[in-house]
This record gives sequence, structure tokens and C-alpha cells, in this order.
Amino acid sequence: MTTTLRDPAVRSGLRLLGRTLLQYRRESMFSVASALLWMTVVVLTPYLTKLVIDRAIDGEKREMLLPLVGLVVAAGVLKAVGIGGRRFFAFSLSYRAETDLRNRIFEHLQRLAFSFHDRVPTGELLARSSSDLSQVRLIFAMLPISTANLVMFVVVVIVLVALDPVLGLLSALTVPALLFLANRYARRVLKVSWDVQQRLADLSNVVEEVVAGVRVVKSYGQEDQEVGRLSRAANRIFTRTMDMLRLRSIYVPLFELIPAVATVLVVLVGGRRVVEGSMTLGDFVAFTQYLVALQFPLRITGWFFAELPRAAASAARVTDLLRTAPDIRDLDGATSLPDGPGDVRLTDVSFSYPDGPPVLDGVDLHIPGGSSVALVGSTGSGKTTLAYLLPRFYDPSNGSVRIDGIDITGVLIDDLRSEVAVVFEETFLFSATIGENIAFGNPDATEEQVRLAARLAQAHEFIADLEDGYETVVGERGYSMSGGQRQRIALARAILRDPRILILDDATSSVDAITEGEIRAALEQVMEGRTTIIIAHRTSTLTLADRVILLDDGKVVASGPHEELLASVPRYREVLAESGVFPADEGAP
Amino acid sequence: MMYARFGGDNKVERPIRLLRRAGGYGKDLIGPAAGAMAATVASTVARLASPLVIRLGIDKGVIDRDLRIITNATLILIAVLVVQYVSQRVSVYSVAWVAERYLRSMRVRVFRHLISLDMGFFGRSKTGVLVARMTSDIESLTEFANQGAVSVVSSVLMVTGVTGAMLLVDVTLAFSVLALMPLLIVMSLVFRRYADRAYQAIREQIGQVLGALQEGISGVRVVQAYTQEGRQAIEFGRVNQRYFEANLSAAKAIASYFPAVDLLASLGIALILFVGGSRVLDGDMSFGSLVAFLLYLGYFFEPIVQLSNVYNLLQAALAALSKLFGILDTRTAVPEVDRPTVLAEPVCGEVNFRGVSFGYDPETSVLEDIDLAIGCGERVAVVGETGGGKSTLAKLAVRFHDPTRGSVSIDGVDLRELSFAALRRHVALVPQEGYLFGGTLRDNLAFARPDISDEEIWSVCATMGIGDWVRGLPERLDTEVRERGSRLSSGERQLVALARALIADPALIVLDEATSNLDPETEARIEAALSVLFEGRTAMVIAHRLQTARRADRVVLVDGGRIVEEGTHDDLIARDGAYARLSEVWKGTGIAS
Repeated sequence: MTTTLRDPAVRSGLRLLGRTLLQYRRESMFSVASALLWMTVVVLTPYLTKLVIDRAIDGEKREMLLPLVGLVVAAGVLKAVGIGGRRFFAFSLSYRAETDLRNRIFEHLQRLAFSFHDRVPTGELLARSSSDLSQVRLIFAMLPISTANLVMFVVVVIVLVALDPVLGLLSALTVPALLFLANRYARRVLKVSWDVQQRLADLSNVVEEVVAGVRVVKSYGQEDQEVGRLSRAANRIFTRTMDMLRLRSIYVPLFELIPAVATVLVVLVGGRRVVEGSMTLGDFVAFTQYLVALQFPLRITGWFFAELPRAAASAARVTDLLRTAPDIRDLDGATSLPDGPGDVRLTDVSFSYPDGPPVLDGVDLHIPGGSSVALVGSTGSGKTTLAYLLPRFYDPSNGSVRIDGIDITGVLIDDLRSEVAVVFEETFLFSATIGENIAFGNPDATEEQVRLAARLAQAHEFIADLEDGYETVVGERGYSMSGGQRQRIALARAILRDPRILILDDATSSVDAITEGEIRAALEQVMEGRTTIIIAHRTSTLTLADRVILLDDGKVVASGPHEELLASVPRYREVLAESGVFPADEGAP
Repeated sequence: MMYARFGGDNKVERPIRLLRRAGGYGKDLIGPAAGAMAATVASTVARLASPLVIRLGIDKGVIDRDLRIITNATLILIAVLVVQYVSQRVSVYSVAWVAERYLRSMRVRVFRHLISLDMGFFGRSKTGVLVARMTSDIESLTEFANQGAVSVVSSVLMVTGVTGAMLLVDVTLAFSVLALMPLLIVMSLVFRRYADRAYQAIREQIGQVLGALQEGISGVRVVQAYTQEGRQAIEFGRVNQRYFEANLSAAKAIASYFPAVDLLASLGIALILFVGGSRVLDGDMSFGSLVAFLLYLGYFFEPIVQLSNVYNLLQAALAALSKLFGILDTRTAVPEVDRPTVLAEPVCGEVNFRGVSFGYDPETSVLEDIDLAIGCGERVAVVGETGGGKSTLAKLAVRFHDPTRGSVSIDGVDLRELSFAALRRHVALVPQEGYLFGGTLRDNLAFARPDISDEEIWSVCATMGIGDWVRGLPERLDTEVRERGSRLSSGERQLVALARALIADPALIVLDEATSNLDPETEARIEAALSVLFEGRTAMVIAHRLQTARRADRVVLVDGGRIVEEGTHDDLIARDGAYARLSEVWKGTGIAS
């Protein structure tokens, strides 16, 4: 445990824990203070018991009994107040910290650039903001009681030694023994429980795969085979979980046995002393009471130290995430984008993903304001990357991108993106109504504006046919729409933004042939007066553009109207044929 | 407002009924469960015995000044402790073993039922929800089983045992302590009612938070493209805040209940000291009994606190149980017949739709009065616009759904009269964009016949024209295809899916043609593979390309849930109707070749 706590990552996690504690000073102080109050009373109660026994019962002074018992009750009230305060403030502190950290993570994630999200899978980010944060919260929840417990050990040991040095030291030995065992247990169980987690994830993969592929399973009637696969996964979980529980069954009873052994020692040694007359009966009973009182706090503290490295590691992962700076940021002194026609100029632009080969290699390209181009190239030729440079989803590794004469790195990102709208190939719909999804980029849009955009995207008709119309809830847990319908909603979303530059990244690929024909007409209208960049595979979509840019190996290899390239550039025909756009062996229909 | 609609229904039905039913599934574990229970009882009895031994030591040893008895008491105490340790260890392990065994069988049971459900169910349910049933719901049962079950059993035993022991030691004092019981029960009931509501709110809110997180992360590109980062963060903050508040109200309940219990415990000590002390002074009770009572009191309240601690886990487990039972109670819409009809060999795959109507829900019909016969060895292409009903037709042919009216038969036998084994043996739906499972290429090819020999697989690969390709792979048939076949190209995946169908060797193939476009060379290889596959079989092809329709013996055009046109490609083109128009559209968008 000590070695892991010295780990630099773990230490940065501990620092986060410390800072958060400082941030919630009030809650931290109150919770520790009430824990200390509680602890004080816990320590005093056996002493009061001793007083009752020695003074009233053993001393045969009946009149002392009631006042002394009254003290016990008063102490009980104080203790209850302490417990209540400790629990409430500890909960409040820990949930406040968790909520706050989760907000910070979410906000931060929203700002991290595409390159980060390309690299880090969703599941991992979810784990950071749920299970890692729960670990961190646990530590905050346990901190007050553990602090108080530590103080209590010290006090109790002093009291015990004062009562009787030999007996005191004997019973004080239970503390290090328990801590030692707790630490050992934590270390051994950590690895096993990690394995169990892994195997649980494996099982979840099996289920996900079978559910996703249920059509194939049923087509071939192989349900039994899949049940077999699942039951093997369940078996693997079972065996490893039992390993974990075997460890638990060894250690957990030990945590009870050790204080009990201390009690035996007290009975043996203390009993002899009382017989010899060197110890009062009250002291003897107080000793046993202290040992009982110590049992539970000791277990908690052992657990706290067992959990601390794990929580610190979780906190470290959170810190790590929060420290990742967004690759794409507003430059100091960034300005807004002045009005203009949407003239785009790329000068000597190169781009490569980290540790990857160049995707774009010295691209020079001019798209005059209000004109439209189609980007064509085989998979991996850099079409999407090139388009994504305009809204600064990525920054070029070299060269510059200018819109209306201004280098976009000097433009405020919010400003830039409000002028460059992208319709993505994969349509993402939020769990909200269709209307809210269309108005996603313009939350203040009126109902008429939303409807107009939907009409332009050829989406109004099918939306109006739905029972709840624009109020229909969609997204992961709502009404499921066909790919073509989703793409039309995304298109409406972009249209509503009324951008200077419109990027359609294979945005009509899932629309069926007949609807595509209808959208085509709408697109012509939308493209009017806007610079439009189209990435597409269908001939019908390509011919929408004034000009086609042929990309190959990250370079612009040809540019001109569709028919012209078709006639004069063999590579163009090849690329089209490759993506199945166009028959290689026959002319246009 | 965004994110307002996450999360499901967390209502818990009557706990007793849930638990009784859950117990019913564990009948085969009764023996081991009884053993585990015995060990738990033993450890509890051992724990209860030590205060009695201590009393003996004090009264007969310390007070009567008899060192021999002190030594004997110590020895007995050590023996008791050994028994306690061993029995506790056995108890922890055996209770866990029973629980884990139970959970393992629960997993398999739920999954077996899940996978037997009809395709309509899978269409309605989200993958994520089904995965959650098999994972997080079962895990919350695990948590309860591992942390809660032992506590519940030992706590109940402990409270009963302590009560008994106190009565044994001194009846008067025992009654004065037990007088606190009604108060404790009332407090616990009030707490339970309040906590129920609070935990229910927490479970709902955590669902919302996770949903919002998931959506915020997977939709981050759209958020940035539309510069809504700030708004998203604010809305997430709101969801997160509601979760915080739910937790805080639970915290308030906890922060009132536990101190109150503790105060009662202090009152207990005061009572013991006062009543017990008076009785000792009166000579009605021994001093050792007083000490024993003080020790017992600790044992009395701790289990009650523990029970309240695991209450949250119990609630979560009950909620999970009710969701799992929800799945087990879902009946399949396509049940298997009790006494199936046997198809006469050889099966030729002749299909007959007679007056078939179908709708996914009762109000909207997708297919209306379809009559269609596909003869032995015939190849029929079904075409039409998306949403016209052609995929539904395919699903009815393989009995993913049953028609609402009319009947579908193969070789003259209604599909509903066949066993699933026979149906799946002779009829296969083949999605050309084949879904591949994680595992090796062999696992995927031999999917329908896991016991097939390698020679046979190789020979099928050769016939399908992928023998050389497989031989060229680093580990041949043992090559891992990785997640959903991500290692293979789209064309390769399709060829594997077709080879898999050939190995399954059905009499009737219902092929759902791929919509994605491929390069001409791969296209040609797939065409060749398809011809091999169709050889000597009846085929119903849901076609998305002109070319496929052209090659079929007959074309059926489905629109608005009805068969609109039917005939050979040339006939229909000549008729210059809907099909002729569709083929023009196909040409125009460049999908045709």
C-alpha cells in the first residue's frame, strides 16, 4: 500500500482529493468536528460505566446511581448529535464533491477536440465520470469517521495505558494487527476483484453481441450454442468470484477474532489483577467495554486504508482527464469573422493524425464564395479530413485555411462554427423531440422557422405524419427512425443554422433513391448563395456541385465539372467505380 | 428540456412475492443453503456464548476470588473463539457459494429465455437495456447476495439469540431493555417508508445521469459543430443536481435514523446500569450478569444498524428482480407447437403465402392480403420502396413473426405446425451484409453446424471462391475476426456470410441483399458465390439492385403492403408501370449497373 501511495499518479490523485476538501471547507470541518464529538463521547461512555460500577454499584452507594446514569443518558444525546452531524455532513460533502467533479468532467469533455474523442472510447469516459467518481466519493464519505477513528485509537490507547499499563499495551496491540491484516487483505483482493470486473465485461460483450446479431442466431436456430457461450462466461465469473470470496471468508472473521482475543486477555490478566486487588472491578469492565467499542471503528479504518490507494488512483485518472488541454482553442486576441461571401482558400495544407501517415499533403484549394464543390476520392483519401478543417474540428499540421481572407485560427471558434455547418455522415439525434433536435443549434428558433427548415430538408411530411408530429421524442430511447429520416432531420438542423458554408459529409447516403430525388431539388435551393462542400458517392449528388475536386493520397489531382473529369481523367472513373458510384463499363444512362 | 426523458420504471412490486418467486428458482440449492444456514447459526451461537462465559469468569472467578475458574473461563473462551472463527469462515464462504451459484443459474435462465423470444421483442427493445438486464441488474443481486445476505441472516439470528440470552440471564432486566423494542420498530418503519422513496428517486436519477453522460459524450461532435457546449453543460448540470438532491434527501433520512438508533442504545446502557445496578445492589442479580448484559447490548443494536445499512442494497436487488422477472414473464409471440408436423424428405422449399396480412401493432397493417407462391427451385426477387413491406415479407417467410391473418407454408405445411429445429434446418434468412460474431473465422463459418469437419469447411470455401483468401490469412480458419468482423472488408464479410449459409444448407434461402456498394471485382465474386448458393435451392431475394431483379426468374413488386406487379423483369419493363419507373430511378442514382 505504501508503495502505491508513493506512485506519482496516485499522489496527483491525492492532491485532487486535498483540493476538493479545501473547496468544501465548511462541510469538511463540520463533519470532522461532529465525528470528533461522537468519538469523544464514545471514549467517555465506558469511563462513565466504570464510574457507575465503581462508585455506585461496587461502592454500594445507591443515591449515586441515578445521577451517574443521568450522565450516561446525557452522553448518549451528545453522541447521537455527533453521529447525525457526522453522517449528514459527510454525505453532503461527498455528494457535493462528486456532483461538482462530474459537472467539471462533463463540461471539459464537451470542449475537448475531435482528436481526443477519436482516441478515447466512450466507455472509458463513462467509467471516469461514474465508477471512478464513486470511488472518490467513498473516500470523502469515509474521511470524517476515519479521522475521528484515528484520534480515537490514540486516545483509547492512552486511556487504557493509564488504567493499566500492561493490559493497555496488550489491547493496544490489536490496532496495528488489524491494520496490517486490512492492508494485506486489500492487496490480495484487489487483483482478484479486477479479474472479476474483467470477466463481467466479457459476459456483457457476449450479451451485446448476441442481441445485436440475434437475426443470425435465429436464422440458423443456434440459440443453444449461444446459451452455451453465455453459461461458459457465467462460469468464469463464478470461479473467480469464489476466489475473491474465499479471501473474504479468511480475513473478515479475523477482523472479529482479534478484538475477541484481546477480550480474552483482559479476562485472564484483568481477572487475576482484580483477584489480587491491583485493579478495580470498574476498570475491568471498562476495559472490556473499550474493546467492544473499538471493534467497529477498527474495521472501518482498516477498510478506509484498504480503499485509499484505489480511490487515489481513480482520482488520478480524473485529474488526468481534467488536465488534458483541448487541442483546439480560441487564440488570445481572436476576433469575430467579418461578413463575406464564404470564400475558402487552403494554402499548402498538410495534415496527419498523431503517429499516422500524412492524410493531406500540401493541398492548395480555392472555393469561391457561393460556389459548390464535391470532394471525391477513395476511402482514406482525406476528403472528410479536408472538410473538417474548415470548422476547425482539426487544425492543419502545416499551411493555412482562410475564410473570406481571414486565417481561421485567429477567429473565435463559436463565431467560426456558427458560419460553417456540418451534416455528419452518422446522424446523431439527442433524446429530445424532433423539434428540439432540429433547433439544436438555434434553441431560440420559432416554430415556423423549424418547420420551414424541415420542409426544405424534405422532412416535414413524414414528421407531420407521426402521431405527435414535431413533439415526437427520438434518440436512443425514443422513437426509432430510418436512416434516411434521421439524415433529413440532421439536414434540417444545418439549414436552420443558415450558415455561410455548408458541409454535407455523405449526408444523403441512407436516403432511398426516390427521396434523394426530392432532396436534390431542396438542396439546390439551400445551396443558393452559400459555399457548399459535398462529399458523396452517388452520381446524382455529385452533379449538384459546380465543380468536382478529385483527391488521391492527400493531394488534389484534378478539378473541374463532373462531365469534364469523367471524359478526361481516368483516375476519376476508377475512383467512382471503386466506390460503386458509377458503372465502369458503360456510359452514363 | 433536453434529457428529460431518460430512465425507466423502477417500481417495485410486493417484496414478499418477489422474494418467494426468487426463492422458487433456487430449489436445487436447498441442501447447500441449509448447510450455510447451519454454519451461520453456529457462528452466531458462538458469539452469543462468549458473554455468558465472561459472566461465569466474573461471578465465580473474579468476585469469588477463584483463580482456577478464571483460567478455566479463559480456556473455554478460547475454545469458543476458535469455534466462532471456523464457523464464521465456513458461513461466509458457504453463503457466498450458494448466492453465486444461484446468480449463475439466474444469468443462464434469463438469457435462455431472452434468446427464445420473438424478433418483435428484439425490435422493440434497445440493446443497451437488454445488456443492462444481464449485467447491472444481476450485479445488484450479487451485491446484495455478497454484502447483504449474510448480514440479514446473521442479524436476524443475532437479534433473536440476544433476546433469548438476555431472558436467560435475567428476565426482569431483559424486559426493561426489550421495552425499547417497540420504539425501535416504529422508528425503523418510519425510516423505511422515507428511505424507500429516497432510494427510488436515487435509482431514477442515476439512470438519468448516466443517460445524459452517454449522450453528451457520443454526441459531442454535433455539440461542437453547433457550438452548444455551454448549453449542454448547463443542462447536464441540472440533471446532475437532481441526482445530488435525491442523494441529499436520503442522507437526511440516514442522518436522522442512525443517531436515533444510537440514542436508544445509550438509553439501553442507562437502563441496564440503573435497573441492573439496583438489582445487583438488592442482591437479585449477579455482577457478572450486569457485565454480560452490557456486552449483549452491543450485539443487540449492531445487527439492527447493519440491517438498515443493507436496506438500500435490498431495495436495489428487489428492483432488479422485478425487472428480471419482467423478462421471464414476457411470452414469445411465436410459440413452438406441441406436436410438430414432420416435413417429408427431401424438402424442396416451396413457399406459399395465402391471404397473409400482418402489422407490428394491431392498428397499422404492413402487409395486406398477400398471395404469393414460390415453386421448388424458383428464384424470386422482391422489390419495392423502403417501408413498402418487402422486408416484412421476408421475416414472415422464416417465421420471425406470425401473420395476423392467413398462413405461410413450406412444402404445404404451415410454418406454425413445424418444430423450430426443423424450420431452422430447412429455411434460413441470410442477411448478405453478414453479421459476424467475435471469435475465429471457423466459428463464424460453422455457425449453423458447429460439429462440421475442417475438410468440409475448406471444401465449401473452395466452392464459394474464398479458399485462396482464407489460406492467405495469417491463421487461416483460426484467424480472429475481431469485433463484428472489423478486421475484414465489407466484401469479405459478405462472402463469409454466404459461405456460412452454404454450410447451413437450407432448402429455402431468404436473402436480404446488401445495400452498400462494392468495387466491381468483389461484386463479381459475390455474384459467383450467390449462384453457387442458389443452386438447387428455392430463393426469395429482397433485392435492392436492378441487376439482382433482372437475374431472378420472377420479380414481385411490393408497395403499400400489397403486391402491385408480378412477372419477369422483361415483362414488367414492357408493361411500363411502377417497376419500370423504379428501374429508371435505380439507373439515375447510379446504384444500378
